[in-house]
This record gives sequence, structure tokens and C-alpha cells, in this order.
Amino acid sequence: MATIATLPEWAALAPALTFAAAAFLLLLADAVSPEEGNPVALAGISLSGALVSLGFTVWYVVEGTGQPREGDPSDAGAIELFDATLVVDGMSLFFSAIIASVVVLVVLASYDYLQDHPYQAEYYSLVLLAATGMTMVTAANSFVTAFIAIELVSLPSYALVSSLKHNRGSVEAGLKYFLIGALSSAIFAYGISLVYVTTGSLQFDAVTSVVEGGELGGIFGLGVLMILGGIAFKIAAVPFHFWAPEAYEGAPAPISAFISSASKAAGFVLAFRVFVDVFTWEFVEPTIDWVVAIQILAIVTMTVANFAALKQEKVKRMLAYSSVGHAGYVLIALAGLTAGADHAFVLGSGMAHLLVYGFMNTGAFLYVALAEYWGVGRRIEDYNGLGAQAPFASATMTVFLFSLAGLPIGGGFVSKYYLLLASIEGEVALLAIALIVNSVVSLFYYTRVLWAIWAENPAADLEIEQYPTGLYAALALAALATVLLLPAFGPVVDLANTAAEMLV
Amino acid sequence: MVDVFNLAPAIALFPLFAFVIALFLGSRMPKGGALAGIAATGGSLVLSLWMVAELAGGNGPYQEELYTFIGGVEGEGVTLSFGLLIDPLSALMLVIVSLISFLVHVFSLGYMNDESETGLPRYYAGLGLFTFSMLAFVYSDNLLMAFMFFELVGLCSYLLIGFWFRERAPASAAKKAFLVTRFGDYFFLIGVVAIFATFGTTAFAGDESFVTAAEAVLDGEGEMNTFLGLGNQAWITVLGLLVLGGVIGKSAQFPLHTWLPDAMEGPTPVSALIHAATMVAAGVYLVARIYGFYALSPTALGIIALIGGFTAFVAATMALVKQELKQVLAYSTISQYGYMMLALGGGGYVAGVFHLTTHAVFKALLFLGAGSVIIAMHHNENMWDMGGLKSRMPVTYWTFLAGSLALAGIFPFAGFWSKDEVLYETLIHGLGDSPLLLVGFAFGLLAVVLTALYTIRMVLLTFHGDPRTDVAEDPEPVRWNVKFPLVVLGVLAVVAGALNLGTIKEVIGEENLFLHEWLDGATLSGDLGEEGALSVHHYEEVLEVHAGYGAAEFPALANGAIALVLALVGVAAAWYLYRGAEPAPHMEKLGGVRQVLVHNYYQDEYQVWLATGLTYPIARVANMFDQGVIDGLVDAVGTASVVAGERFRKIQTGVVTNYAALLALGLVLLILVFGLAGGWF
Repeated sequence: MATIATLPEWAALAPALTFAAAAFLLLLADAVSPEEGNPVALAGISLSGALVSLGFTVWYVVEGTGQPREGDPSDAGAIELFDATLVVDGMSLFFSAIIASVVVLVVLASYDYLQDHPYQAEYYSLVLLAATGMTMVTAANSFVTAFIAIELVSLPSYALVSSLKHNRGSVEAGLKYFLIGALSSAIFAYGISLVYVTTGSLQFDAVTSVVEGGELGGIFGLGVLMILGGIAFKIAAVPFHFWAPEAYEGAPAPISAFISSASKAAGFVLAFRVFVDVFTWEFVEPTIDWVVAIQILAIVTMTVANFAALKQEKVKRMLAYSSVGHAGYVLIALAGLTAGADHAFVLGSGMAHLLVYGFMNTGAFLYVALAEYWGVGRRIEDYNGLGAQAPFASATMTVFLFSLAGLPIGGGFVSKYYLLLASIEGEVALLAIALIVNSVVSLFYYTRVLWAIWAENPAADLEIEQYPTGLYAALALAALATVLLLPAFGPVVDLANTAAEMLV
Repeated sequence: MVDVFNLAPAIALFPLFAFVIALFLGSRMPKGGALAGIAATGGSLVLSLWMVAELAGGNGPYQEELYTFIGGVEGEGVTLSFGLLIDPLSALMLVIVSLISFLVHVFSLGYMNDESETGLPRYYAGLGLFTFSMLAFVYSDNLLMAFMFFELVGLCSYLLIGFWFRERAPASAAKKAFLVTRFGDYFFLIGVVAIFATFGTTAFAGDESFVTAAEAVLDGEGEMNTFLGLGNQAWITVLGLLVLGGVIGKSAQFPLHTWLPDAMEGPTPVSALIHAATMVAAGVYLVARIYGFYALSPTALGIIALIGGFTAFVAATMALVKQELKQVLAYSTISQYGYMMLALGGGGYVAGVFHLTTHAVFKALLFLGAGSVIIAMHHNENMWDMGGLKSRMPVTYWTFLAGSLALAGIFPFAGFWSKDEVLYETLIHGLGDSPLLLVGFAFGLLAVVLTALYTIRMVLLTFHGDPRTDVAEDPEPVRWNVKFPLVVLGVLAVVAGALNLGTIKEVIGEENLFLHEWLDGATLSGDLGEEGALSVHHYEEVLEVHAGYGAAEFPALANGAIALVLALVGVAAAWYLYRGAEPAPHMEKLGGVRQVLVHNYYQDEYQVWLATGLTYPIARVANMFDQGVIDGLVDAVGTASVVAGERFRKIQTGVVTNYAALLALGLVLLILVFGLAGGWF
């Protein structure tokens, strides 16, 4: 409360501004001494930026910035900026926290991963600029800001995916990502324009008031579906997921972690905001029943991704499909918003799952980064016997994968359980069944990796000499968070529910 | 003052500690952990005696819930807990179990240590766990807890019978004991669940107990859930019979008695423990424990009595032709437990408990005596290889003789008093209004003759006459650790009958029947309050009201005279047949009958056929169903998933134009579907 009194309102954007400032500081540092680039300093600046941003976010959450105060109605308290084109509320802060946490882990891991990489300053600054974009997405309250923020995420991402310039896979993946991304952006922009045509406004609240006015017709429905398509690209939901396996596999592993965790979270926050708040279901339903559309998306996404993951031979590609599958799980948070459901609970479950997912999925990709750092190869059988050589790191990987599968070793168990409850709350039996069946399927392919790590005999020439501090620290942090979220899930889900309460 | 009952849990925990110590430290301790076991069972014995003294002094009874592992919702559901119940019956049983176990531990020094057996820590650990399980079973305050320790007792017997597991016979005998008793335990388990379903509790004592609840229902003062459309009393009978399944298995009653003779493959002290105080006694004790429940159902009582009487008789016939010392004793055990069942079924609660007590003493004595003989004979158990041991091992002989006379039911040894009381109680209730009991009584009388015959035959063949082998000529001496338990038990076998001189109650007066008074709680100050449900006079009332057991007038002395005469007939016959220096194997004259008896009426054969000829083919069909259909289904799902995975994987061609096309196609599809549904066009 003191925050509001002492800080100007624009300070509510501090998490995003910090990222931007750190990015520019990096470019400045690189401009000062371009030749003998100092990796420690560059990583240090990035890490500090991410930590400060995370600090701001946590501080705001604790202080109750942008959230209803004691006695307020549940939708009060949001801080609106720039003619309400940006908004800072519980939802945006919750997602800023996820994004900043992932950035911390990714930067930590990148320090080791980027050894001898020639363009470190550019790499870090691109990461931070993308993070800026993601944080802006969480606060977007107008289609304009949303689109610009999304592009601010996408453009650095394309570059980051192909940042291993001499690696054919990396470059090819970047190009594919860019092409599909351009197509999706076009669809997204077209959808926005159609919504503008029918409602005459781009600002969310204004659109909402028109939507509540009554019948809108097919053009509006078309716009809604196209916006859904644009967002589905960002969260990598089937059939807009084709870029994901390619991009994740080609990209440097920390970037795969970054895109699959943070970028996905940014996509989801936009989805939550646009569909729950703007295209309010009870008014839009006669034109386009988006709950059913998302139910279809969710089930198809879960099923296709998990079954495709079954037969993958490369770990990173398998994780890519797993992350697509998780997008399907989180979509339950929207697909379960049927008329009778407790909307805050359903939405909050999805948010909480994204938080847990941010740690466990990032952790899993960082283990792959570690394996790439050691140069052990990309296929599952290349991981044979890693458990004996690197027991600690492999133990964290066990935690990540089992938590992703939903075993009670990490927060993934409870969050998936809440998603199940949410699908039951929404009375969509098919979602619940799909969730359970796919979780069972996923256990199979996660276990394949763990079997290779722990049970198989290593190849004769497997010899690990270095245990990089940064990567290990990132793995340890992620594992700690994943495990701690099991007992600490209660407060997290409360926070998510409160934030969701403001929207519904 | 310290409430001594707070120490009650320690009675069972001492042997548990001994188990842990023997298991982990036994190999580093002198005597392989025996001393820990002796100290522990000694401690249990002292504490048990203290409990008895406390109860006799007018305190208690004591019931305490120690640990609730599932707490039911207030007023609903069931509560599962561990608790203690120390009343006259359980206190008496605690003394018996800890005393026998203590003596068996001492005896084991001679039987196991002095014979240089290996694996002693395992042996003493097994004894400790066995004793622990039985003691905990005895003071359980609810049926579920009793069931758990009942099963643990079964497990321990498996471990100990199969102590020499490298040999074929003990391993197989252990398995048999486990499986056969398990067969009965299935029914017991169903019974426990059914009692939970019916009454919502399995407590033995107190206003809330299922025994009290069942009685209240029959008095028309309460309600209970019945199943299968049965009436209240019929359902109570079903429950009682289900629990009885476990009793028949454990107490080796016909037709589940077949495991017990095989169990002789275990070390002899273990046999003593199994037969006298643990395992086998557990079944009969359980009936006594919930006697108030059985007393409600004349049908259940009748079945108990008939099974008991029949078992007593059949087992005695089989004992007649056995050549090995321990085999004779094994069948005599089956027979004697049959008497106890007969007593309980015939309305003789005190008689049943009395015979349980005296039998514990003299059967432990006989087994330990047999163990002593076996040591002397270098582990040859065939009685036809013995003879003439009387003068060479006098302590064993005289104590063994005392035990044998007690078993044969000769005045004034302990067995006479208790067996006579069993028969007397059955007779007076049979003459009352339950003529069916007279059939059991007739079996019991016949068994008296046979018991005396095979017992004295055993004594004569073993100890009298001329030595028939070189080993018998010069047997190995035994030490104090063998003789001490024999002497203690020998004395008890002579005097234990004084607990309840029922035969001469007309002479000494009813109030001097100590065991009767004890079980009636008359020694306790005042009324037992809510615990009054566990007293003899209450049982008698229930028997009269609900089971229709009336007692006819019959002079106790006359019955005693009949029993004694019959026993003496048996003794005389044995003496006539097997006296002299060179007794002949008279039983061979029985010809075909002997063959049937030697083969134990082909009980084993048909049970083996049941297992291999009937159960095994059914199991094979079930297995085929499981492997073919269930597993096949699961495998098919897995295969289908993998194939589907392969298909889904192939969508990802790597060609970016394909992706763009599919993406656009997907969007168009969505638009088409929702456009048509929403009526946009």
C-alpha cells in the first residue's frame, strides 16, 4: 500500500522496464568493449536484471499492488496505464513472476552453455528483450499492445533459435519458426482487424462493452477464431504446433527451455485475458462457442502431442512434444469454463500448473543443455549410464520428468490433480479422461529417458570431466522449486485463484 | 502408586525386543541370542503374574485403546485401533503363554545350543517373534487386531517349522502349515469384514462391543445390518461360523488338521510351543474370547461341539498306529483340542479354558520330554528303536510319565480333572434340552479309552522293556537345561488340576472351584460393571436364554467315575498288549484298518487332490484368461498407442510448406465447423 503512495503509477511496470534496461545496459557494455567480451560481466548483468525484475514482481505481489484491497470487490484494484492499454493486476504479476523465474534459470544455465560463443552480449540482450515483451504481454489490455508485445517476443525468439550460426539445424529451425510465426502473426493481425471492424475498438474494456451489447455476427466470430489461432501458435497448440519440435530441437537448449516455458506462459496469459475478460462467453456464445472450440483444441493437442512423443528418439524432441502436450493440459483452464463451473477455480488451476510447469519444464530442458554441454549426443540411448556419472544432475532430471508426468514427487502432481478437478468442475468428462489417459501415456516416454539414464550401461567412451557451476545451480534451483511446490502448492493456488477472481 | 496395568504393553514388547536383538546381534552374543529371549519371556512371565495378582486383588479389568490408525468420522464409519484388554481370561492365557515360552527357551539351550545347531540367531529371533505375536493376540481388545496377530502367529510358525529349510521335508511342512491354516483364515478375514459391516465395530468388551450389540439385538433392543436376507440369529450364526473357519485351521480341527502332524518337522521345542501355548491354542482361545457371541447361536455351538467331539475321536484313532514319538503326540494334540472345542460347544466355558490350561502344561511337558528322548536317541524318533530308557534317564521318565497320566486322564493328574469337566458339562447340557450334544459326548467317551491306550503304549514302548537298539542301550545324557523345564512342568502336571476340582464339587463346595470363580470375576471387588459381559455367569445366562442350553441334574462324581474307569480300561489294554521285555507290534493285526489309520483316512490325499486336481486346473484357466484376454488387451492398447505415435510422428515431415498448409487447413476446418454451427454464412 505504501508502494502506491510513494511510487508513481508507471512504476507498476517496473518488472518489464527492468528487463528492458538490462538489455540496453548489455548492448552498452558490448559497445564499450566489443573485442574482449567479458562473459562473467555479461551474464552478471543479465542475471541481475532478471533478479531485480523478479524482486519487483514478488514485492508487488506481497504488497498487494494492482490487487483488490481489504473489502474491495474482487475486480477492483487493477492499475490501468496509458488510457488503459496496459493493466497491472494479479494475473499480470503472477505471470511476470513465472517469466522472471524462468529467465533467471535460463541465464544461469547459459553462462556455461555459451562458453566460447562469439555473440554473447547479443544473445543475452535478445533474451532480455524477449522477456520484456513477455512481461508486456502479461499487462496488455488492448489488441494493439498485445500484438506489439507478442511481436516483441517473437522477433528475438527467431534470432535466438538460430543463434548457433554455424549449426545447420539451428539456422534451419530459426527459419521455419520464422515462417510459421509470420503466418500466425498474419492470422492474428487479421483476426484483430475483424474484431475491430465489428466492435469499432481495440481496447479490451471497450470491446467488452460492445460484445455485451448483443448479436455480433459471423465476421466477429471469424475474428475470434483467428485470434485463437494466433494465440494457439504462441502456446504451441495443435495444429499450430508444427514449429515447436523443430525450433526446440534446433535451438540451443537454454533457448528451448526459455521459449517452451516463458513464451508459452505469455501466450496463455493473453488467452486467459482475451477469452475470459473480453469475449465473455455468455454474450459471445450464440455467435461462437469458444469453450467448445478450446475443448477440441485441448483434447487434440494433448492426444496428438503425447502419442507423437511416444516414438521420438531424440530427448529434446520428446520434450518438445511433451511441452505441446502440457499446453493441452493448461487449455483445460479455458475449456472447463462452462456455465456451471467455478470460473476462478478452473482458471486458477491452469495458472498454478503453468507456474509449476515453468520450473519443471525449464529444468528438464536445462538437463538437456547439460548433456549438450558434455557433448553426449541427442538420442535417448546416448544418455545411457549418465546417472552413474552425474548422479545429482540425473536426480534432478528424475524429479523434473516424474513431476511432468504427474507423480507425487514434485508440484506437477498437485497441479495436474487440480486440472483434473477443474475438468470435473466444468463437467467435461472427455477432458478428464483425456487428461488421465495422456498422463499414463506420458509416463511411458518419460520413463524411457530415466531408464536410459539410470539402468542402462554407459557407452564405453562416456567420460564426464566437468561439472559446470552455472548449469548445476540452475538445475538445483529448478529442482528445489519443483519439489517445494508440492508442499507449498496451497498458497500458490490461492494466489492464482485470487488473481483469476479479478478477471471472471 | 504406579498403575501396573500401564506396564501391560511390555508383556508382549519384551519378546519383540528379544526378537530384534537376536536377529541383529544374535551372532555376536553368547548362546546365539538365547539369553535375551530367556530374559524377555521371564520378564513377560513376571509381569503376567503381576497382572493376575492385580486382578485377584480386586483391580481392573483393564481396557485401553493404545493407537487408532483409522479414526472414523464422528458417529459414522469405522474406527480401527489397537488396544489392550486384560481380564481374567486374557491374564490367565498371558501367564500360560509366557511360562511355556520361557521354559521352551531354557530347553532350547539343551536342544539347540548343546547340539551345535547352526542358525541360532534366526531360531531365537523366530521364538521371540512367535511369543510376541501370541501375547499380543491374547490381549487384543478387538477382532481386527486379533486377526493381525493371528496371521503373524501363522507366519512365525511357518518360519520355525521350516527352520531347517535346506531339507525337503521341513520346507514342505512349513508351506503346508501356512497354506492350510491360510485356507481357514480366508473365512476368518471375511468374518472380520462382515462383523464390521454388521456392527461397525469389532471390540470385544464394553458397551460398544459387537458381542454386546448382538445380544441387544436378539433381546429386541437394537438393530444391526443383516445380509443375504437372513434373520438376526441366522446372520449371527453365519458370522460365528466364518470366524470359526480361522479357528478350525489354527486349532487343527477336522478337516483342516492335516498340517499339524507334518509340523513335527520343526525343532521339538518349537513343537512344544506350537502345541501347548501358541498357534494351536490361538484358535480355541479365540472362541473363548468371543464366547458371548457364540453363546447366542445354538447352531454354531452345536457345530463346534460336533467338530470337536469328532476330531477328538478320529485323531485318537490315528494316534494308535503311529511309530514315531512325536507323531503320537501330534495326533494327541489334535484330539485334545477337539475336547476343548467340545467343551466350548457344549456350554462348558470354564471346562474349555480349564482343559486349555492343563493341556498347555502337560503337552509342553510331553514334547519337551520327547525332545529329551530325541537328544538321547541321537534324533531317532521311532519308538520301536527305543525301550528301556526308564532306568537310563529317570528324570525324563518320571516327568514324562506324569505328563502321560495327565493326558490319559488318570486320577489325580491335571488332565483327569479337566477332561472330566469337559465331558460332564457336555453331558448335563446334552441331557438338558440339546440331545445333539450327546453325540459329541459319546465321541468324547470313546476317545478317552483310545487316549489312554495310545498314551500308555507310547510310554511302554519308549521307556519300558529291553533296549531294542545300541543307542537306546547307551543314550546321550541331557543337562540341567533340559531337566529343569521338565521338572517344573512335571510338578504342574500333577497339581494343576487343583485349579478346578469340579468332579468333587459336591464334596468341597462350589466356591472352591478356583478357576470358575476366577473366570466369573468373583475375586474382583464388586461388579465388573460394563465388563460383566465377560463373566461366566453372564455366559450361562446367555446360553440359557438364546441357545436354549438347560443343565440337567447329574452327579459329577458319577461322571468322573465313568471317565476314570474308561481311562483305566485303556491303560489296562495297553499294559496287557505292550508289557514285558519284548513287546510285539500288536497294531499290525489290524490289517486293512491299520492301513487306513496309517494313512490318516486319506485326508492328505484328497486335500492334495483338491489342490492339484481341482484348484490347479481352475487356476490355469484363470491364468490363461489373464494372460490372453486381460494382458492381451493391455498389450493391444500399448501396441495401438505406439502405432498411433508413429503415425502422429510422421505428420512432422520437416517440410515447412506442409506445416503452413496443415496449419491453414486446421484453421479453415475450425472456421467451417463453427461457422456452420453459429450460422455465420
